[in-house]
Amino acid sequence: MKRVGITTTIPSEIIFAAGFVPVDLNNIFVTDLKRSSYIQDAEVAGFPRTICGWIKGMYSACLDHGIGRVVAVTQGDCSNTHVLMEIFRMRDVETIPFNFPFGRDSEMMARSLKLLMDYFAVDEFQTEKWRVKLNRIRAKLHEIDRMTWEDDKVTGEENHLLLVSSSDFESDPARFESKLDRFIKEAASREPMDHPVRLGQIGIPPIVEGLHSFTESFGARVVYNEVPRQFAMPSGGETLVEQYLLYTYPYDVGPRLDDIAEQIRLRKIDGIVHYVQSFCHRQMEDLIFRERLGVPILTIEGDTPRELDARTKIRIESFIRMILDRKEAVL
Amino acid sequence: MNATLGVDAGSRDVKFAMIGPDGVILKHTIDTVQFYIKCRGDNRRVDLKKLEAESGACGYERIVATGYGRNNVEIDNCSVIPEIMAHAKGAVYQTGLADFTLVDLGGQDTKVISVKNGTVDDFVMNDKCAAGSGRYLENIANTLGVSMDRLSECEDDPLVMSNTCAIFGESEVVGLVSDGEPLERILAGANRTVVMRLLPMLGKFRNDTIVTTGGVAKNRAIRAMMARETGARVIAPEAPQLNGAIGCCMS
Repeated sequence: MKRVGITTTIPSEIIFAAGFVPVDLNNIFVTDLKRSSYIQDAEVAGFPRTICGWIKGMYSACLDHGIGRVVAVTQGDCSNTHVLMEIFRMRDVETIPFNFPFGRDSEMMARSLKLLMDYFAVDEFQTEKWRVKLNRIRAKLHEIDRMTWEDDKVTGEENHLLLVSSSDFESDPARFESKLDRFIKEAASREPMDHPVRLGQIGIPPIVEGLHSFTESFGARVVYNEVPRQFAMPSGGETLVEQYLLYTYPYDVGPRLDDIAEQIRLRKIDGIVHYVQSFCHRQMEDLIFRERLGVPILTIEGDTPRELDARTKIRIESFIRMILDRKEAVL
Repeated sequence: MNATLGVDAGSRDVKFAMIGPDGVILKHTIDTVQFYIKCRGDNRRVDLKKLEAESGACGYERIVATGYGRNNVEIDNCSVIPEIMAHAKGAVYQTGLADFTLVDLGGQDTKVISVKNGTVDDFVMNDKCAAGSGRYLENIANTLGVSMDRLSECEDDPLVMSNTCAIFGESEVVGLVSDGEPLERILAGANRTVVMRLLPMLGKFRNDTIVTTGGVAKNRAIRAMMARETGARVIAPEAPQLNGAIGCCMS
């Protein structure tokens, strides 16, 4: 199978329809045992220290895994990707730009999708067949998400790992679907968990390890992973255009705020952990979330893939304790 | 009896406080490295006898610990509370106030805690950088060969200095000295740098009263600048550096 690297979630239906396999460069970077040296390798190659770790990790992982073609999202994710594309080209990696139109305009989205379909020489009919197929798998991810917050049978970390994988379906949709089927069956037989504090994690997927499991050791559980859930396209859509316009992550913050607020209410979330990446423009969104969401927010920052550091642990522990004290005061 | 020993294992010092029914019985501070060298027993456990010999603590009923070090070394029969809670409880005990913004300016950390009705309502901590911390001020004082006491008095006409890096801050003051800038203005500039770094965090929790704890709370100029910039009254309790240990006793 010919592999195509992707820098974030893109309409993978088009890639699959063309007979290619998408490989999320973020996932192969952060799950590789060499993840720390990937960052160092990129810095040795000349990437500045003050550039996002995900960008450096994607660069090294792409070259190390021998991926010769990458669809890069140049609007709606991260402007660093622009230069990453140029560096990839210097390294003889073919790059294909994809834009999520800033204004959420359906005509512009149709044009973006058409450009990508033309590049991969597929038509709407072929793509639609894959959309139906992938949405069947996404429905299983939605069920796992529901089992997380409603049945209390899935941990925050399991939810995160499975939902975040829907950007590339672990490069093998059939095997991924079987894995989900087995997981749902096993998780359904579990006893519900009972944590007094329910948290939501918003912001990009954390590069640091152990965030979810650490919260559970202090009486809290993450019942909502905002961006991984969005990767699984929870809002559906009747067409490819509609589906990728309902996907909240790459556009303005308004629909994200609405989505987060609704899930806070639905999932009875006591507090939000906002993860921000060092040197990422999205750190500024913290200001918006703090002003607009009416629940306690803890902002934590990570730079490279490693276990949570002592400072971050103290913050999380204090945050959970603060929420517990508040809840006890109300009772 | 019924006394509690509070231990705040910080990045620079380990602080001890012991409080009984009649108030504070003991206050003591040990250098963190010396504490680990002298008190660490087998299997990462603290040798209580050595701890008592070093701190002078005895006759207490329970031990409560907080701070970074609390997870590195285990103390027998010791309960552990998060630093944020310890500092809030300590400040409530020391000031008798229930509603205020607490600013704990330590060696590496800055914590800003909103205290309402005597409990933590919300908090923020500085990002992973020592710029604007106690360590920054120590470096500046050492570089210029002045005492922390003298630094603490420099408030007027501060030079505008960078607040982005504690290490580059040293070379910046060397440059200012070579430019012939008055020492008092450079020192005032260093104090101002700490306050400027603090203001965005303080802006999140506006309150008429700010309580300062930690080593930097002893800096009179910083307290005065903070009061001027925020319009709040700024209070430093009697034992600002032992506040976390005192808070442990109150949990």
